[in-house]
Amino acid sequence: MKDEKNFFSKFRTYMLFAGPVTLAFFTVVIIPFLYGLFLTFTNWDGVSANYMIVGFENYRTIFKDAAFIQSLGLTFKYVIFTVLITNAVAFTLAAILTSGTKGQSFFRAGFFTPNLIGGVALGYVWQFVFNNIITYFGKNIGMTALQSSFLSSPKQAFWALVIVAVWQYSGYMMIIYITGFLNIPKDVLEAASIDGAAGWTKIKNITIPLIMPAFTISVFLTLQRTFMVYDVNLALTKGGPFKTTELISMYVYKKAFTERAYGIGQAQAVILFVIVAIISITQVYLSKKKEVEA
Amino acid sequence: MNKFKKAFSVLLCGAVALSVGVGCSKEQSVGQTQAENTEAKKEQTKESTAQASADESVEITFLNSKGEIQAQLENMAKAFKGENPNITVEIIPCGAGQSPTEMLTTLYASNNAPAIAMLDPADVAAFKDKLGDLSGEKWVNDAMPGSLDAFKVNDKLVAFPFAVEGWSLIYNKAVLDEAGVDPAAINTTAKLEDAFKKIEEKGKKGVIIAPEDWSLGAHFFTTAYSGQANSTADIKTFLNGLASGNTQIKDNAVVNGLLDTFDVMKKYNFAKADPLSAKYETNPEIIGSGKAGFWFMGNWAWPQIKEFAGDNTEFGFIPVPVSNNEADYGNTHMPAAVTKALVVDASINSEEQQAAAKTFLNWIVYEASGQKGLVEECSIIPAFTNISLEINDPLGKSIQAYIKEGKTSNGVMLSNKHWGDIGAAMQKYLGDYSKRDELFNDVTTYWTSGDYK
Repeated sequence: MKDEKNFFSKFRTYMLFAGPVTLAFFTVVIIPFLYGLFLTFTNWDGVSANYMIVGFENYRTIFKDAAFIQSLGLTFKYVIFTVLITNAVAFTLAAILTSGTKGQSFFRAGFFTPNLIGGVALGYVWQFVFNNIITYFGKNIGMTALQSSFLSSPKQAFWALVIVAVWQYSGYMMIIYITGFLNIPKDVLEAASIDGAAGWTKIKNITIPLIMPAFTISVFLTLQRTFMVYDVNLALTKGGPFKTTELISMYVYKKAFTERAYGIGQAQAVILFVIVAIISITQVYLSKKKEVEA
Repeated sequence: MNKFKKAFSVLLCGAVALSVGVGCSKEQSVGQTQAENTEAKKEQTKESTAQASADESVEITFLNSKGEIQAQLENMAKAFKGENPNITVEIIPCGAGQSPTEMLTTLYASNNAPAIAMLDPADVAAFKDKLGDLSGEKWVNDAMPGSLDAFKVNDKLVAFPFAVEGWSLIYNKAVLDEAGVDPAAINTTAKLEDAFKKIEEKGKKGVIIAPEDWSLGAHFFTTAYSGQANSTADIKTFLNGLASGNTQIKDNAVVNGLLDTFDVMKKYNFAKADPLSAKYETNPEIIGSGKAGFWFMGNWAWPQIKEFAGDNTEFGFIPVPVSNNEADYGNTHMPAAVTKALVVDASINSEEQQAAAKTFLNWIVYEASGQKGLVEECSIIPAFTNISLEINDPLGKSIQAYIKEGKTSNGVMLSNKHWGDIGAAMQKYLGDYSKRDELFNDVTTYWTSGDYK
């Protein structure tokens, strides 16, 4: 009797504090997720009132779909380059802007600003830069390489996407690295200097291990964001020229809504979810292991 | 102290719960007011019909999926009621961003289907079991040739062609006059090239090719399909042949002819240096202000061209030539297609309501006020040859002229995957990233993918 009452009162307290959040979480995350999972086993086209259960047929179609594999490969390439370059740039900026340079608060704010611009607006701004401004300079200084737009050649359009992503995320990651740098105890650095460590040795053996938590967070954030990118992709290249820059989110969207194969698109989204989950968890697990206390 | 804390936490939780609820309740209330509005409207209309006639007053609903003409349609409904006091037509709009098929599916599911619904032609067949047969109607004989073919299901005519749109080479008469080119005389690829040359001699550019995949895939390339023959059945046979692999696209004369013209267009393209960086958004300015003579696009571009054309309203269409033989079908006919169709429900609405719906359709085609509403107020190109009213837009007028002379070919509209895939293949070809063989391979890959049904 007492136990029951105990459970009831515990439940009441839980509902009181976490009830609204639990309800919201279930209605906007868990239930749609399960329903989405169910739809991957149907041949629903996205609009019609009736559909049939087709079992694992959608998943089988996906692995036979060369364009899906290609788009996934392109996304991996995009993620690798973007994550590496973004973090390298952010780390370098953070190192410079914590070393006591003049006007460092101004520069910190400046580099952070791109992150405040929404993806679609940013995509259009850069489209204008690539299509009009760079080509204008190319024509006026006579450099043929710059005369045609980056966005009209498949190879360059990919790098245009990487450039914009790096530009967008570096500032944000820089802020995280700066907090990491500021948290390194001065005495440790001083001790290292006295022991004769300088330059790269000091960065490699003291700074990097001590700001490992910042790496964990930054790499996780960039990984997850670049895997899911859609807005910049849409506004900047729209997947073009001729579908060569269709990253996976756009591919899934087009499958589900443009080609009206909702079941297949949803199944692709599930596969994407599994891939991103595995990669992010592995990354967090591995870099957590490398974290050390000062 | 403890009590205070407890009370405070309850308050806080309540606030959170409320704020979560607000998001939903807001929408609900909007929905409610809408529902109330329509309720109120219904009652009004009921009253008015009761006043108009005590016997046999019929009330029908019309689902409109062209949001921009909602007010005009409501005016037409009013005018119709003036002439037919027994019948009240209520125009219900399709929600913004909601597809008409989706909305009609929902309405059927709730046993509340409208008597008349405006659908995209491709979606008509999905409802065929529920629709009434219109093949006995008078307007069938006055419809533009080929415009009804797509709506015949098992000898039953299930839709009324409501709006026509056409696409081909748009010309700016002022530029052509300056270069001494007569658009009406261009009916071969060689003559088109000649015209481009004359225009370029005046320091202007020949033609603009919009590199968007929908323009290249859904409009330009399909010109080759509609140029195959003048009957929809023959075109269908051709497309079925492509899908089954029995017909090879690379052996087709019309397709090759169209691509020869495309090669010529590429040579005189406004954005020749970097064809894929051109943007549809900048094209209307180029043609409107006369920096180029031609543009491959459709009549929907007029509002944008108008902004840059000033007082110049002399624009029109010529067919895209597909050979050097003047008499060839494709050289004289431009593609046009029905882009909105009306269907009459026969499963939920009563006999009287169906008859009233048919009366309304006939009124649009044959009564002066109906024609005026359709052509002048809604600015729609009608699919009927008996309507002589002229639309107030030069591109629409040009298409009307082609319709009247029977010189439109049956514009082919295919799936979204078709324009995506073929559009990408054409972009590759436009940017010189592929040769014609590769283009044909890409096209064949689409046709054998099983997407076409």
